[in-house]
Amino acid sequence: MSYQNYVIAAYCVFAVVMLWDFVAPRLQVRQQLRAARLRATRAGRNTTNEFPLSRE
Amino acid sequence: MHPVVRWFHQLGSPPYFERFAARWAPIAYIAGLLVMAYGLYGALFVVPADYQQGDSFRILYIHVPSAWMSMAAFALMALYAAIALIWRIKLCEILAMACAPVGAAFTLITLATGSIWGKPMWGTWWDWDPRLTTELILLFLYLGVIGLYNAIDDRRNASRAAGLLAIVGVALLPVIHYSVTWWNSLHQGQTISLFGTSHMDPSMLPPLWAMVIGTHLWFVGSLLARARADNLRRESGKDWVARLAEPRA
Amino acid sequence: MIWSAAKALMIRDLSLLWRRRGDALQPALFALLVVVLFALALGGEAQALAKVAAAVLWLAVLLAGLLALDTLFRGDADDGSLEQWLLAPVPLSWLVLVRTFMHWATTALPLLVATPFLAELLHLPHEQLPVLLASLALGTPLLSLLGAVVAALTVGMRRSGILIALLALPLYVPILVFGAGSVAAAGQGLDPVGALLLLGAGLVLALVLAPLAAAAAIRIALD
Repeated sequence: MSYQNYVIAAYCVFAVVMLWDFVAPRLQVRQQLRAARLRATRAGRNTTNEFPLSRE
Repeated sequence: MHPVVRWFHQLGSPPYFERFAARWAPIAYIAGLLVMAYGLYGALFVVPADYQQGDSFRILYIHVPSAWMSMAAFALMALYAAIALIWRIKLCEILAMACAPVGAAFTLITLATGSIWGKPMWGTWWDWDPRLTTELILLFLYLGVIGLYNAIDDRRNASRAAGLLAIVGVALLPVIHYSVTWWNSLHQGQTISLFGTSHMDPSMLPPLWAMVIGTHLWFVGSLLARARADNLRRESGKDWVARLAEPRA
Repeated sequence: MIWSAAKALMIRDLSLLWRRRGDALQPALFALLVVVLFALALGGEAQALAKVAAAVLWLAVLLAGLLALDTLFRGDADDGSLEQWLLAPVPLSWLVLVRTFMHWATTALPLLVATPFLAELLHLPHEQLPVLLASLALGTPLLSLLGAVVAALTVGMRRSGILIALLALPLYVPILVFGAGSVAAAGQGLDPVGALLLLGAGLVLALVLAPLAAAAAIRIALD
């Protein structure tokens, strides 16, 4: 019995899931930064703020 | 203050953690990838076919590390959640919730590879073997934590509620495993162990250890990447995020 | 103080239940419907039903209890009484325990009473009935206690119906396994006492730990 197809299938599952695991957080980070950029343009940019941890 | 203790406290500051995670996540990913590449190469081309199970044995090199990772991730998630609930440390809330998707991914890999391995071995895609059944319930526990975290609007309350669920889950997991093992012995007599009676020849071990270490490193990378995203989301109104997002002049 | 608070809560729950006494029958009716559906789906033949009767009965009781779980804290959460619980001079976990007990008494006890009747519908072998009732008597309070933790985690949410089920069912697995398994063991001629004792031990643990966890969850949800 050729096990080759099963081994290939298993390794493919591994690769696909790991790929998703790599891509998903990168997309999230990119989305968050983009949202922050849009928010900043809408609010009018502040070039300096001596309280960087404050909200707006 | 001792430098390590100071570093610990600094990590709790969201901008500092952002810089830390942005720097170390790729390093962990790459290290994990390299170690796993070595392990996978060994698993596919170096290790001889198993006497009893033939080439399908090579699936073990993915199945076992993923299974261990799925359980380690759950335990770590519960630990972070406990720290977050007791000491109210925001970073631990973030880290706990970041463990869940990665752990669920590894659980999925474990179930899928276990099923694929089972087809040539037992002739069936699924068997209510105690280990696979426990793993399936573990997947549901992960999905429950993720679902609860997404269902509550306030991020802090959501992570604390989902964290409590993770703690309850980790306490019940040994009970679940024991109960399913008992049930299996009741209904099927001898349990069919997935690994049979073949002991692993020492020459077969190095790729397995490589895969274990590689998946752990990958887990750290994924944890940091997801924690980074969650951190940015929670701090989204703040100025330091806006400044970070500014296109470089 | 502790006992007077318990008495007050129990009297309140009973009066509220008395005003809607029709609702008290709903879990039992649901279990009956589940039994009917299983019998119809399985073909209604006595031999086949008898083999699965204990398992179906356990599932019917479990699912009926699951559906009733939403009402555990919902009423009090909606009208603000839950916040009064937080401010009460008695421990929150004690109030949770009393409420869970009342909920069990009003939803699960009718189910236990109905079980022999439902067992007859499924042609359960008569010698399995005592073990079944014992496993349900030990198991349903456990289900209520664990369910209380899950209900407390989701108490703030509006559309939480399916989520409660998804969160609770994995946690219910060991109870179902030992409960239905004890009857299966008895059916095979093995001693069911081991499984029943494990259920009992779990119940004792849950009586102490579940209210604490549920209280912590309520505090998180109402923060």
